[in-house]
Amino acid sequence: MACNRYEAVHTRREFLAQAGLGVGAAALAQLFRPDVFAATSVPPVPLGGLPHFPAKAKRVICLFQSGGPSHLDLLDPKPLLSERFNEDLPDSVRRGQRITGMVAAQARLALQPSKFGFQRGGKCGTEISDLLPYTRAIADELCVVRSMHTEAINHDPAITFFQSGSQLPGRPSMGAWVDYGLGRLNENLPSFVVLVSVNAKRSGQGLLARLWGSGFLPSAHQGVQFRSAGEPVLYLNDVPGVSRERRRRMLDGIAELNRLQQAQSGDPEIETRINQFEMAYRMQASVPELMALENEPAHVLESYGSSVNTPGSFARNCLLARRLAERGVRFIQLYHRDWDHHGGLHDSLPAIARDVDQPSAALVSDLKQRGLLDDTLVIWGGEFGRTPYAQGAANREKYGRDHHGKAFSLWMAGAGVKRGIAYGATDEFGFNVIEKPVHIHDLQATILHQLGIDHERLTYRFQGRQFRLTDVHGEVVKGILA
Amino acid sequence: MRFLPKNNVRAVPGLLTLAFALAGGAGARAAEAVDFSRQVMPILSDACFRCHGPDAGTREADLRLDLREGLFRTKNDVTVVVPGKPEESELFLRISSEHEDEVMPPRESNRQLKPAEIDVLKKWISSGAPWGTHWAFSPPVRPAVPVLQEGGTVRQRETVTLEPRARVNPIDAFVRTKLATLGLKPAAEADRAALLRRVSLDLTGLPPTPAELETFLTDRAPDAYERVVDRLLASPRYGERWAWDWLDIARYSDTNGFQGDPERTMWPWRDWVVNALNANMPYDQFTIEQLAGDLLPNVTREQKIASGFHRNNMFNGEGGRIAEETRVENVFDRVDTTATVWLGLTFTCARCHDHKFDPITQKDYYALYDIFNQMSETGRNQGGGQIPPVMDMSTAEEKERLKKTNARLDEIAKEVVAFELIKFPRPEGKPLIDSPEAAQLPGNLPATHAKVEPRRRNANGLLEAIPHFRETDPAYADLLQKHLDAVRARDNANTRITRVMIMDQIAEPRETFILNKGNYEAKTDVQVFGAAPGFLSKTAPRSGTLSGDESLANATGAVPPARMNRLDLARWLVSEENPLVARTAVNRAWQAFFGTGFVKTAEDFGMQSEPPSHPELLDWLATEFVASGWDMKALHRSIVTSATYRQTSRATAEQHERDPENRLLARGPRFRLPSWMIRDQALAAAGLLVEFAGGPAVRPYQPAGIWEEATFGKKTYQQDHGDALYRRSLYVFWRRIVGPTTFFDAGARQVCTVKVARTNTPLHALVTLNDPVYVEAARVLAQRVIAQTPENMTPAETDEARVEAAFRLPTARLPKPQEKHVLLARLAKLRGQFAADGAAAQNLATAGEAPRPEALEPVEHAAWTALCSLILNLDEVLSKE
Repeated sequence: MACNRYEAVHTRREFLAQAGLGVGAAALAQLFRPDVFAATSVPPVPLGGLPHFPAKAKRVICLFQSGGPSHLDLLDPKPLLSERFNEDLPDSVRRGQRITGMVAAQARLALQPSKFGFQRGGKCGTEISDLLPYTRAIADELCVVRSMHTEAINHDPAITFFQSGSQLPGRPSMGAWVDYGLGRLNENLPSFVVLVSVNAKRSGQGLLARLWGSGFLPSAHQGVQFRSAGEPVLYLNDVPGVSRERRRRMLDGIAELNRLQQAQSGDPEIETRINQFEMAYRMQASVPELMALENEPAHVLESYGSSVNTPGSFARNCLLARRLAERGVRFIQLYHRDWDHHGGLHDSLPAIARDVDQPSAALVSDLKQRGLLDDTLVIWGGEFGRTPYAQGAANREKYGRDHHGKAFSLWMAGAGVKRGIAYGATDEFGFNVIEKPVHIHDLQATILHQLGIDHERLTYRFQGRQFRLTDVHGEVVKGILA
Repeated sequence: MRFLPKNNVRAVPGLLTLAFALAGGAGARAAEAVDFSRQVMPILSDACFRCHGPDAGTREADLRLDLREGLFRTKNDVTVVVPGKPEESELFLRISSEHEDEVMPPRESNRQLKPAEIDVLKKWISSGAPWGTHWAFSPPVRPAVPVLQEGGTVRQRETVTLEPRARVNPIDAFVRTKLATLGLKPAAEADRAALLRRVSLDLTGLPPTPAELETFLTDRAPDAYERVVDRLLASPRYGERWAWDWLDIARYSDTNGFQGDPERTMWPWRDWVVNALNANMPYDQFTIEQLAGDLLPNVTREQKIASGFHRNNMFNGEGGRIAEETRVENVFDRVDTTATVWLGLTFTCARCHDHKFDPITQKDYYALYDIFNQMSETGRNQGGGQIPPVMDMSTAEEKERLKKTNARLDEIAKEVVAFELIKFPRPEGKPLIDSPEAAQLPGNLPATHAKVEPRRRNANGLLEAIPHFRETDPAYADLLQKHLDAVRARDNANTRITRVMIMDQIAEPRETFILNKGNYEAKTDVQVFGAAPGFLSKTAPRSGTLSGDESLANATGAVPPARMNRLDLARWLVSEENPLVARTAVNRAWQAFFGTGFVKTAEDFGMQSEPPSHPELLDWLATEFVASGWDMKALHRSIVTSATYRQTSRATAEQHERDPENRLLARGPRFRLPSWMIRDQALAAAGLLVEFAGGPAVRPYQPAGIWEEATFGKKTYQQDHGDALYRRSLYVFWRRIVGPTTFFDAGARQVCTVKVARTNTPLHALVTLNDPVYVEAARVLAQRVIAQTPENMTPAETDEARVEAAFRLPTARLPKPQEKHVLLARLAKLRGQFAADGAAAQNLATAGEAPRPEALEPVEHAAWTALCSLILNLDEVLSKE
């Protein structure tokens, strides 16, 4: 036997298993595809070998709450904070954890309770804040994960981490990876669509287009933002003076001349160019059709709340997310901003919770009613949570909280995720995860898993190495899967 | 000129055989000899180094296959490689084993060797297992130029068309030798018009003007093409075209990136790049001034501006940021960018651990880090987009100078106005262009001279005007020369009044420690001092070939006598010790012309890179580049005058299928133009382009609300009007968090990009169909061709002439009869439609802000506009042919 010649094989095997450093089958399959950089057409089909196993989810809707929603005031009740109001956060809990530049100079870290009540929801009895009554009402559909943790403590790196698996800019976002791996479900719309909503106060952190960028993947995989004001897709509308009919004929003329050119030059890319213009033409019809809500029944519109009538509202975007899901868009990414409550949380949090609570719950119910929830994975959460100590002085009524990445909460629903559970736990302060920790990379691995993708095998070669969404980390959170 | 072939008639016996062997690529044709560095090493790297490579942290069985000692070691009676005897070599036994527990790489690694790869390794061992280093880590040795025999592999010109090709360009000798070994023939030369368009776009980013086209088509002199090339290389547009690629590399932007995204003023640095390229600054100097211009003795203002190269990185000024974290990230970025551009290596990997494939230790990484760790930037951002150190250029004297130069310019402009009133008779108060004589000026003069009032003319336009009038009207030429002097004096004074970010050096050096996993607050106790990468440097402490552990253990903390600073590093990067500097530069140039470099992975020349398609040619060009005194223009000239470049891009479907990416170069390059060039081309075709060089960025058309949406209304896009709408794309304001919407497939300008993608999505089509800049270009192109009213023609003939003109401006060729037929039929339909829809006609005929002749009938104008829009969206127009 040769297996003891170079030390134990199992050591190496264990290492590989742990680090997940294999060269992906997906990457090998890629070798047999035309190179996407050179041959510029994007194959609308999955990479060879994908899905790696039967998928539970056909599509994903990510309701991203940008700014860092306070888990302590929304999804993770901590009565102890009230009992120990204004006491110092024990060093034994903080354990030298770094804190942001904003409170580093603060003399003390005073415990800050939530001023909002928590009640049990549904048959499962998951405790959810009074700020989210609609969400609480569908608790039986939800898997509330209370043991999320991340490495970043500032917005940009943390959001980038959530979306791309790396704190540093330049990596492909989750939606781009999924589009790259699984291809399109439809011919008339992009596969990865982004909707950014405007909150009532029109404030919040800036959002960077690179959050839905394709990084080193071909840019065809980047998310396409459907905008609420102006044209839903940039340059979608024909210019004044060009009717649909005229555009159609123009494209016919272009195609005719391009074919003559192709006969001369022999370049197969010209056929791709013709198809590209044809899909642009189809999008010019399919996008407005998507955005038009005339045929939505009144009771459906009402279920999302009155702000559904306001273009650019979170409610409107939730409804559009359902319409996108129906039309076969693979990855639907929503952003809602202004959860960054360093101060004035007592005022601002109820307002923004009202923005999102009813529409988020309505979306889940609407999907369910249409039979779409079974194969649509919905995720609701932000880039990190907030501190159990006050930023500034502790105060039972008026307070703010700083960023906190060590522990936070989010919820998921649909597509093979357990219903009506709360998963994982934090300590009594809500500061550290003490049970079933779920790292951002674990979440990403799980999302890919539900889509039928082994996160270790969806890779792309760049700068001489195989990159993946989860870097060399991430484990599927089996405990939340039905 | 250095790049011309020399001594190529010298016979080199045996060279063809060698070239033959190397040309085959891994496996297939490697019967005669296997090249260790190009064929064996890549397989070992990709399949084995992950566990048996440079990274001590993940090494299995204490076995290193990247080192000679490891590859040939004997331990426990087992020898990894026994030269000449594959059956006794454990390496071969393991890779060819069918036993689950024995086979390497292990099954679970998902990396299985292909039979061809196993074959290469077997042949290599059989042939005595010659060892060597990775090709890119040895200095390029100038290869002899293959000799091409008449009637053999070299294609003789059937007719003398362009030049007497007494001597073969060495590029062609290399390319054709490889083609011959594969039994392939090069393509015929492209027709002259296609060639002129190709070379004009490549060298200046703009299509040829009708006059330039006419001149070239009628110039039958043997050196006509070479003279065109020289004209293009001397054009100020050359610097503007090549600056774009450098700006992608330098992650240039007009804002910081991240939240708030405050504006910065780095355009003086951008202008420095354009000027340096136009002046053909040698690449070594270009390198040194940008990496360390501030440290040069007797430093000039320009050299300080040049040092801003490494201030172009993003800067995170978020409220909660820890300053040190930002500072460290910025240093990382400078290290990574430097390594990508001048070393072609993925140093980033060694930030957290020894490199997995290349012999770069973590210590090597922090040795570079130490070099960039010595500037005064603190990571705190209190100055908006202008983060110290900045150079404030507005001294009282300079302000005074600007005032004076402006006054002088006013004076001259008045003189010019007076002179031109007489020279170009026209109605009182009307611009020059209204005079028929001025409107018919050649080249760009109608746009740069006749359309622009004297006070607003720029140096480029005047540079073109003066020679034109030199013979016909010396007095006017003299006056314009004075005008030019005044403009230059003003420009000179003007560009100095600004604050620009630069580099500096702190007096008391920071101590640099290896950061555990690259975490800014996790300093290890291993101190590192500035040095070139150990495995490349003869002078630096040779830590690179040792394992990371050893090199760490050797760190004593004592300052070595030769602690490198930035200037030392910059000089080292362009020294003979760096085998990669010329190769990476030459490869990027090739990539720009042919779409793909010799090394396809332009960002990585390391072990995991794709082997070069033409290794000898790459090294020949690299050595020639250095020998020429790092002459960029000579390099470009050498490439574009080669027969390889001049081939037609037309090919059969079969040829496309055989070589879809044209790596063998059996035809000319054909691929979609960069989006910025498509925009510039459209503006040029319409005659809209305003060639004003340099200065602050401009804000052309952009859909409403883009910035507002990204920043929650904190940033408002204030669109410019007038000339600013028609400046070259290079000058378009680049907001880093949401780049200009008019470009697609552009570098993100966030981190260093040496290769941008070319993809194909419907969103791109929407831009060229509907972006106002393209609609307006179509509308003004329509005006331009309608204005050409040839005499003595029937309406049908006039239509035909106009269609030809509209088609020719962006494609540089006349439409074929069938094409013309399609376009004329379309025109007839459009006329009918717009006649029936006056409102639509009015809308289209007035798209954009550029003026239109009042007298122009809207229906006719709209029909032509729609037709021109169609033309501007043809694949041929969007592509380099």
